[in-house]
Amino acid sequence: MTAVRVRLRRGIGRGIGRQGAAVALVVMVLVAWLSFPRFGSPDNLRDMALQGSFLAIVALGMTFVIITGGIDLSVGSVYALGGVLAAYGSQWGFVVALVLPLAVCGLIGLLNGVLVARTGMAPFIVTLATLLLARGLLLAITSEGSTTYRIASGSAFLELGRGTVFGFGYPVFLALALCLAGGLVLRRTRFGQSVLATGGAEQSAVLMGLPVARTKVLVYTMSGVLSGFAGAVTAAYLESGVTVIGVGLELDAISVVVIGGTLLTGGAGTVLGTVIGVGLRTVIQNVINQIGTLDSNYQSVVSGAFLLLVVVLQRSLATRAARGT
Amino acid sequence: MSLPARVGVAVLATTALLTSCTSREAAPSAQGTGGPAASAAASQASGPGCARDRIGYPAVDVKNAVIGFSQSEKEANPFRIAETQSIKDEAAKLGIPSDKLLVTNAQSDLNKQISDIKSLLDRGAQLLIVAPLNSDGLQPALDAAKAKQVPVVTIDRKVTSDPCDDYLTFIGSDFVEQGKRAAQAMVAATGGNGKVAILLGSSGNNVTTDRTKGFKDEIAKTPGISVVAEQTGEFDRSKGQSVMEQLILGNPDITAVYAENDEMGIGAVTALKAAGKTPGQDVKVVSIDGTRNAVQLVADGGYDAVIESNPRFGPLAFRTLQDFADGKEVPPTVIISDDEYDRSNAAQKLANAY
Repeated sequence: MTAVRVRLRRGIGRGIGRQGAAVALVVMVLVAWLSFPRFGSPDNLRDMALQGSFLAIVALGMTFVIITGGIDLSVGSVYALGGVLAAYGSQWGFVVALVLPLAVCGLIGLLNGVLVARTGMAPFIVTLATLLLARGLLLAITSEGSTTYRIASGSAFLELGRGTVFGFGYPVFLALALCLAGGLVLRRTRFGQSVLATGGAEQSAVLMGLPVARTKVLVYTMSGVLSGFAGAVTAAYLESGVTVIGVGLELDAISVVVIGGTLLTGGAGTVLGTVIGVGLRTVIQNVINQIGTLDSNYQSVVSGAFLLLVVVLQRSLATRAARGT
Repeated sequence: MSLPARVGVAVLATTALLTSCTSREAAPSAQGTGGPAASAAASQASGPGCARDRIGYPAVDVKNAVIGFSQSEKEANPFRIAETQSIKDEAAKLGIPSDKLLVTNAQSDLNKQISDIKSLLDRGAQLLIVAPLNSDGLQPALDAAKAKQVPVVTIDRKVTSDPCDDYLTFIGSDFVEQGKRAAQAMVAATGGNGKVAILLGSSGNNVTTDRTKGFKDEIAKTPGISVVAEQTGEFDRSKGQSVMEQLILGNPDITAVYAENDEMGIGAVTALKAAGKTPGQDVKVVSIDGTRNAVQLVADGGYDAVIESNPRFGPLAFRTLQDFADGKEVPPTVIISDDEYDRSNAAQKLANAY
């Protein structure tokens, strides 16, 4: 059966692709550790973990969306909106500060999902529209960005972003727990199977009686909720609902998902790969900082070149593996 | 300029003359002093000063310290280029070796700026100069600096945290004053009669609010001048141009343009020319920033005046840190002095433009 063989080969390619990112991550960490004395310092490691955790939560939702063959461009705006709503809601206590952003951002995700699944509109267009919608909503409730809601010091909500265990911030553990749960859901549940099947071969999935439309609605809702949550945690960390965050975050999220070996065409991908992708991105950024003398205009060039290098490395590993079989 | 402010500037200009020998910048023409008073500053008298012995920070001599500078955005516009360069130049002038000045750039990402500042601290920075990306949200970084007893001087944008407690002081321009001086330049250029269009900066930005307030309050004192139109050009040259095109169509009798930054002003000049007007003659143009391109236009006669927004924080920032180390009281806000370019001086002062 050729279909099985294709799937098998794709599976192997994917595995290698993921390992490619892992190999790149290990190499990067080793080189950085040896080259920069401060790279391995506890403070630096803690800070890198913290920086990566916000992106990881957003990228987790994006992983599911991309595996169904979709894309969610609204995450950056939704993330910023979540932060502002959390800070705004914090005046009524912990529960409101958490529920308000999750509910609103979940609704935006639901809207994305329903439009994509029921009307068959392109996810690119639908989520581009909600990107603008969420950013507009944010500007409306902050009087065009001039009002910044601050979280009162002493508010229990602050702990969510500022609390630490063994020096590592709560966001790190939250991100790890969510990614672990996400990985299990993707691999071990019917829903996870539907997600993979929807992106792999949508027609067959429909014929097999899988709830394709419902799956799509769910993944976009999940992406909205997770982005809103990441925003809320960020607000707790920053002690305020900062309006300028999240611009371009969707591209960061998409890039780490793809670097992690998830196919942009859908049907294959892992949460672990995404976590590795986040790690790579964070390490690259940190290394650029450690070099220190780099002109700011070249920092993006170097960062982009690094990403390209990783993708090429992955690709060559994958083709070699495919040739080997 | 109000009398107390004028006195304050004069006093500090004198102090600057005594304590600094730099002559890269001329004194603001408003003061009429011809001497070299590099980045003369008027300290605001409001609020108590911050003294090192009160908050118990160690004395760190600037010349022998590791200094961290966190820039907010790419050095892709003249202001940021000049700002970063000024920090580097001043460090070099003080004889600080380049490996003791650590520089990071947050690339407009707030989370990155926080981790930048933390990594500067981790790499041993004993003094910090920060150009904040946003007024809110840097608290985690400020807390980290506080925990290590590292004084933080913020430049060009004020943060909402508490001076002395969360950060040492803020050094920046008085944007209301800039608007006011632009209005005075406008009155001088128009002879006190005219219909002015305002190209506003981005909405929801305190720079826009302040530059608008300063201008309108001052221009209201001249009955011959009326503001006939105002619209945002978002601090952008091409937006400024297209907004200006629309404004001329709606109000063909506009005789003056106040642009809240040079880029929009330059865009307006292009639009005015396209509409058959002669900028600098039938339509007067005044803007704020002091970029090379705008000042060149003033020198060439196609523009009327430019109020500077001084990006050269280096001398003042290092001096403030040294003052703090020496145990002097540091005020919560230090105002950097801004120059002014008009037809009479633009050609000579062109080298000062950035």
